[in-house]
Amino acid sequence: MLDQSAPTPDAPVNPRRAFLVRVIQGVHATIGATLTFILGSAVLAPSLARRERLWLSAGNTSALREGEPVAVTLRVARQDGATEVVDRRVVFLVKSGDQVRAIDSTCTHLGCRTRFNAELGQIECPCHGGAYDVTGRVVAGPPPHALDELPTRIDGTRVLVQV
Amino acid sequence: MLTRLLDWFDSRTGYRAGLAHLLDERLPQGTGWAFTTGSVITLLLGVQFLSGVVLAMYYVPSPALAYDSVQYVMRSLPMGWMVRGLHVWGASFLVVATSVHMLRVFTHAAYKAPREVTWLTGLVSLLVILAFSLSGYLLPWDQKAYWATTVTVNVARSTPFAGEFIANLLRGGPELGALTLGRWYAAHVFLLPSILVTFVVAHLFLMRRHGISGPLRRSSGPATSFFPWHVMKDTVVMAIVFASLIALAYLVRAPLDEVANPADASYIPRPEWYFLSLFQLLKYFPGPLEPVATQLLPGLAVGFLALLPFLDRRGERRPWGRERLPFTFGMVVLVAGVVTLTVLGLQDRPEGKKAEDWGLLPIAGLELATGENSACKRCHVSGGPAAPLESTGLRRDEEWLLNHMIDPVAIAPGVRTADDRAPRSAMGRFGAQAVVAYLRRSHAGIEPPALEPSLRLAAMTYASTCVVCHKISGEGGTVGPDLTEIGKRRDAAGIREVIEDASMVYGESSMPSFKDKLTGAQIEALADYLATRK
Repeated sequence: MLDQSAPTPDAPVNPRRAFLVRVIQGVHATIGATLTFILGSAVLAPSLARRERLWLSAGNTSALREGEPVAVTLRVARQDGATEVVDRRVVFLVKSGDQVRAIDSTCTHLGCRTRFNAELGQIECPCHGGAYDVTGRVVAGPPPHALDELPTRIDGTRVLVQV
Repeated sequence: MLTRLLDWFDSRTGYRAGLAHLLDERLPQGTGWAFTTGSVITLLLGVQFLSGVVLAMYYVPSPALAYDSVQYVMRSLPMGWMVRGLHVWGASFLVVATSVHMLRVFTHAAYKAPREVTWLTGLVSLLVILAFSLSGYLLPWDQKAYWATTVTVNVARSTPFAGEFIANLLRGGPELGALTLGRWYAAHVFLLPSILVTFVVAHLFLMRRHGISGPLRRSSGPATSFFPWHVMKDTVVMAIVFASLIALAYLVRAPLDEVANPADASYIPRPEWYFLSLFQLLKYFPGPLEPVATQLLPGLAVGFLALLPFLDRRGERRPWGRERLPFTFGMVVLVAGVVTLTVLGLQDRPEGKKAEDWGLLPIAGLELATGENSACKRCHVSGGPAAPLESTGLRRDEEWLLNHMIDPVAIAPGVRTADDRAPRSAMGRFGAQAVVAYLRRSHAGIEPPALEPSLRLAAMTYASTCVVCHKISGEGGTVGPDLTEIGKRRDAAGIREVIEDASMVYGESSMPSFKDKLTGAQIEALADYLATRK
């Protein structure tokens, strides 16, 4: 099928032809760029979205005792694409003086849910024997670092935790 | 560096020779603008494919989530509305482009030997594109999707003998529902694309194998190469079509009705414009004659197109040439028929519920759901046990929604805390119906009217009293007359008389007197509002 006399890319440059090639390339590049912008935005936007931060009420200061972690379940309703899901996060509220700290109960080792052992006065992970003190610092076992702490605020007698 | 890499790649694949083969096709002298329609179709198919892939990332083929997922694309996803706009309007563009392409091939008699099979692959591709459109508009699961598909399935059911079987096959059972959506989705995203790709590739292969038919009158001169001389023409037309598609998608939002409501048989379905001719045809063949419109005439049209290259075999290429005249006549009848029926279909707009008409029930629902004493806001607040109403979907059926509103605790586990003893009823049944009506409107993204106090009073009165017997804009009871256009028949004073004492006006009426049951302000607000409904 290929005609040997057909102009090939190596043929002597015809200025009109070279101009047409430029125009064709330009138009197709513009169409491609427009589609890439529209479709790319729709694909990438959710990947770049930040999680919305919320202040949630986690209970009353009167229910807390000095230095003793109290486990509180926070329900966080959030959008998940077209659906809505409610995440549950368990945090330990620890009172120390006027301050209340909120410590995430998720073990930093492999993500198990930790529990407070009142007899030993430490937070323990049931999976691999990780243990933390009441401020969340590692005292034993494999966890690589302390339990995560969440920002807190006290509004009157209510404890607000940011998730 | 790049050149050396490409040299190596060429030595291993021979891509340059392949590319040269593709681009250096020799075209007959005088091949003009009419021969750009195929390239436009290729561009549009590309847009449909890419935008379809993006939509499929977000779409959920289930009745509970389909509508919400499309709504998510339209409202929350950046550029999502544009992606869906390209896909929805692109489908219309594609139907037009393929039809124009086919007419171009007809006028050039390009289907004649040896190109009969090329024509047939094109015809199949056109039918597949129509099947795409048909399956595509069920997917958003809005009112139009649901009811227009009901019509489609009923059309298939009119097939003699096998009708019921075909209908069940299309629906995946005796009812239109989750199983229907699943199979139409699978067809739309897996089956039809693979069929279309196969036939389009065959079409292009055959086009190259036989070369193009070229202009009717050959001008003398050497053949020109496809690239860049004809590609330039293709590119100009593609650019114009693409720019129009982008402009349309930008300027006109792809429509989305209220969420499908199988319980609302008052909806009057109308198909997309490209099926309107078939839809219109149905009106002329009622009852036992229906298969004439649903099977016989469309079958004849497709049969005529399929047989064309085998019947029109003489050398004549000019459409007005004596030997081709009968076929040209047949084609003109076909095109004129489709165009006429489409225009008639467009003019014949049945009066249905207008999307932007809020009526009164949804306004009462708006007040109940978002007003100061809203029971919904006990839970549906940011950070509360349930998501804010704006971000909840409408993915349960009406029964669930009504029961949830009447007794939220019974149906949404985990909402009741230890201090909450008795279930707290949020609202009565009519209130719940009002809130459901409101949610349907607001989830469809329809802006509410300005809430003046008298309108609010009229709405709350209607939702607690009149709704039992009277319909407004598709919602309400059917015991009494529909009040949607009552303003055409009576003025405010006349309406007030009927509300206060209907039997005084009509002599005998089953409508009770509301003189003592409603306050003067309530009656006045109702009468004033109803008088404006024309």
